[in-house]
Amino acid sequence: MKKSLFDKIWESHVVEELPGGSALIFVDLVVAHEITSPQGIIAIERDFEDKLYDPNKIVSLIDHVAPAKDTATAIQAQTLRAWAKRQKIRFHDIGDNGICHVIIPEKGYVTPGMVIACGDSHTGTLGAFGTFALGVGSTAQGGAMLAQVLVLQRPKVMKIEITGELASDVTAKDLILTIIKTIGFKGGTGYALEYTGSAISKLSMDGRMTVCNMAIEAGATAGLIAPDEKTAAYLAETTLKPTNWTSLQPDPDAEYDRTVTIDGATVRPVVTWGTNPGENSSIDGTVPADAHPESLQYMGLTVGTAMKSIEIDQCFIGSCTNSRISDLRAAAEVLKGQKVVVPTIITPGSVGVKRQAEREGLHDIFQDAGALWTHSSCGPCLGMSVGVIAPGTRVVSSTNRNFQGRMGDGGRVHLASPQVVAASAVMGRIASPSDVPAAREKVNA
Amino acid sequence: MIISGPVLPIPNANVDTDQIIPAKHLTTIDDSGMGEYCFTGMTNGRKMLDEHPGAVVWVAGENVGCGSSREHAAWALLGVGIKAVVSPSFARIFHENCYTNGLVPVIVDAELIPRFAAAKTITIDVENETVQADDDAPIAFKLDPARKPFVLGGGFLKYLNSKIPAIRAWEAKRAS
Ligand code: SF4
Repeated sequence: MKKSLFDKIWESHVVEELPGGSALIFVDLVVAHEITSPQGIIAIERDFEDKLYDPNKIVSLIDHVAPAKDTATAIQAQTLRAWAKRQKIRFHDIGDNGICHVIIPEKGYVTPGMVIACGDSHTGTLGAFGTFALGVGSTAQGGAMLAQVLVLQRPKVMKIEITGELASDVTAKDLILTIIKTIGFKGGTGYALEYTGSAISKLSMDGRMTVCNMAIEAGATAGLIAPDEKTAAYLAETTLKPTNWTSLQPDPDAEYDRTVTIDGATVRPVVTWGTNPGENSSIDGTVPADAHPESLQYMGLTVGTAMKSIEIDQCFIGSCTNSRISDLRAAAEVLKGQKVVVPTIITPGSVGVKRQAEREGLHDIFQDAGALWTHSSCGPCLGMSVGVIAPGTRVVSSTNRNFQGRMGDGGRVHLASPQVVAASAVMGRIASPSDVPAAREKVNA
Repeated sequence: MIISGPVLPIPNANVDTDQIIPAKHLTTIDDSGMGEYCFTGMTNGRKMLDEHPGAVVWVAGENVGCGSSREHAAWALLGVGIKAVVSPSFARIFHENCYTNGLVPVIVDAELIPRFAAAKTITIDVENETVQADDDAPIAFKLDPARKPFVLGGGFLKYLNSKIPAIRAWEAKRAS
């Protein structure tokens, strides 16, 4: 049988087949952050003499609450810090940190063909580099640190082919939100999504990471894209500049369990109106007639409401989905010379991204516009530390989850691309970059 | 192992782990204390819990436990006395977390959910893989054979620890 990229990575990592379609899968890299790792660390210390399979196969960092906000989160950070020190594990502390899914590729810890596990559901981001990267629970992550394996059910493989080209106003975020809507919020459950096609090839590595990042929002185990010259060029620019990898490709006529084809030209900029990422409409469209009533009640919306008529209270640009340098450049393009009319937080994905943005003067554009430019962390994305929103508050956000209460109890989240968030911040309602007057002049010039 | 007792009927589809346990409570370094906040992220979630004291089986809708990987969701459910989740479909990470924590994941046809949600008592024979609403005939369900032992007796990390020599041998072979 002709093999997919996923099949090849899976089969080269099977340590032992288990009954019922599961296997022990070898893990090349474990990523540990301060929220979900302490439980595994403590269990290994308590029950297994603090022994790890190989500390060199772990990278740890502080990202979710950085810096600590209170005693409890300070203890979480300190647990990770002390462990990294005694185990001699690579560690990115505050000041040198970033959201795990941003900093791990940026530093060059990722190479094609790897299996990567992290106690974080958006780990699939790293699939953009031709890896099988997946989120796992704290105990499974502990197991991967103790024995370097995961117990996994082999997923089926879905080929998602995006043909043609995306229009110039369409971003990777719009593409993945459209994919989720097409296959359904749980349509990817039990699958690894292998993205391919000319529109995927044309995406930058940042865009590919955005597309892989949200595979979990369709329920998928992972998302992945075969490496190419862009992958190599990106890795050559990283801190570690890894060269010890060989390009793995799917066989030319590989067989897939399911194939979904989307014409890239049909994808439009989208914004969510509901309480899961699949509940989205074209930004020029309306809340659809078949919208789930419970979602609409929570969001305080009615069927037929034009997306662009929805007035907003706050904006956020950040998160592992859209906080990389190209996202910030796109936002700055819209915000240049403008003023935000609602509170707007802009949070770079890593210290590296922050410093690059400041070298380019993007922080001045943001701050001149009246936005809050912060240090790097997960920030408001998960409603855990800085920037929590109040009940009923409506925020347009470049993040990945519009779940009930995600960014704060009772808060209402509309997911969109960074440029749509920026335009909305200027207009005080959901808006396209082309709705912002000065931006339109720029485009015409 | 037999689990038998009152039902918590929250059969809504897509109950994500943020609804089971909001992120603001993920500030501990162990798995204790999560029950106090179970379902506080869901509109009326806490109310449902209060109205069904002593519930041991959560009858849930499809795609249960989607979203964040937080194992805290399993710990929160166990913390309020839930020992099994009956649902037509589980999100992958939550499903794995159920197994490693001995929270029994019971997959049944979607058409059966209303009947289970209306039951006073659900009885689950974990060993023999059957689930029963009140005095109805027991219905068969399937557990993953590779992970069934962890549901019955725990020991997930012990099992992996016992595999280390074989894993090291595998890795040495791969390198050569
Ligand atoms: S940015 Fe948000 S989604 Fe991404 S890892 Fe952080 S909390 Fe999770």
